[in-house]
Amino acid sequence: MMSDDLVEPVDTALRDQGEGLADQAARAVLAYREGEREPLAALVHVMTPLLWHTVRAQGADPEQAEDIVQNVWLTLVRDIDQIRDPRATLQWMLVTAKRAAWRTVRRSRDEQVRQSNDEHATDWLTTPVEDLPDSVAVRSERDEALWQHVRALPDRCRKLLGLVAMVERPDYAVVSQALGMPVGSIGPTRGRCLAKLRAALTADPTWSPS
Amino acid sequence: MSIDDTTLALLADGMLDETDRVIFEGLARMVETVDPVPAGLVERIGMALTIEALQAEVAELRLVGEPALAVRADETSIEAGTITFTTDVLTVMISVRPEGGHVRVDGWAAPAEEIEVELHQGGDLTVTVSDEDGRFSFVDADHGPARLVLRRPSDPTVPVVTPQIEL
Repeated sequence: MMSDDLVEPVDTALRDQGEGLADQAARAVLAYREGEREPLAALVHVMTPLLWHTVRAQGADPEQAEDIVQNVWLTLVRDIDQIRDPRATLQWMLVTAKRAAWRTVRRSRDEQVRQSNDEHATDWLTTPVEDLPDSVAVRSERDEALWQHVRALPDRCRKLLGLVAMVERPDYAVVSQALGMPVGSIGPTRGRCLAKLRAALTADPTWSPS
Repeated sequence: MSIDDTTLALLADGMLDETDRVIFEGLARMVETVDPVPAGLVERIGMALTIEALQAEVAELRLVGEPALAVRADETSIEAGTITFTTDVLTVMISVRPEGGHVRVDGWAAPAEEIEVELHQGGDLTVTVSDEDGRFSFVDADHGPARLVLRRPSDPTVPVVTPQIEL
């Protein structure tokens, strides 16, 4: 049992570092196939926000986004026996959600094309603080500098950073690839989007990292 | 503020550190503030998945007539009234009305037998059994999206499920 003492800390350290949504999703899929539904129910809780924001970042309105997110989950469960690599579940769900959002957004734009020109290209995270409800605006005062600099970012950087912020480090690569960003666009290094935001923030005297 | 490309490239090649973590935390707050996940969405998905898991055995009831109650989940008003669902094996009529801070659901299923009726609301489940005429009620239901699952003793392997309704 001496050897266990030596091995265990390493094991624990690895587990703490390695466990992300992708791993949790893989385990949930395998468990579900064995007839155990609890892990998937837990996954719904932790992953639905990420799916929601992924879909919203593509420009789907809230009502469309609810349907899309629910359908992604239903599709997963219906096709769960066909998943060849459970480790790719997170990636698959993000890509599925993103594409469904594109289709929906394109369709509703086609319908509205006569009324308005395409001015509402993605405006995710661009709401000015003063347009938010008062209660929200007050709560967000301490983040005001952050908000201003995020709004100044290119659309793709805003999406990347906003969605990566929803997950832990082991999932950065999956999230950025699902968005169509190149490998290494974030983690283990900062990548250009985060570098841009960080440079802007650290040069802004009204921002402090505390 | 702008920085030159060399400085930016250097910064971009740096490893993520504590300051980046703080930025991400702020970003996460911002995302949740600007665009919160709708209340109840997670629960509705959980409910849909529970129903889906029954799917192989389920006969889904169709709505008959005006969908006065079957409003979208983001509506908060109670639509008092009567609603009928039907499928090949069962017809279910329910009436819904507010009572105190809750909702009262009275139902009737035909052909009549002592049917086990489950009321699914988010993660919660309430079970009752109809009388021999097929009548049942839930007196203290909560507001919000709900489904009924009915199990008939004459054919226990095929539960019957209503579409989602808003109480």
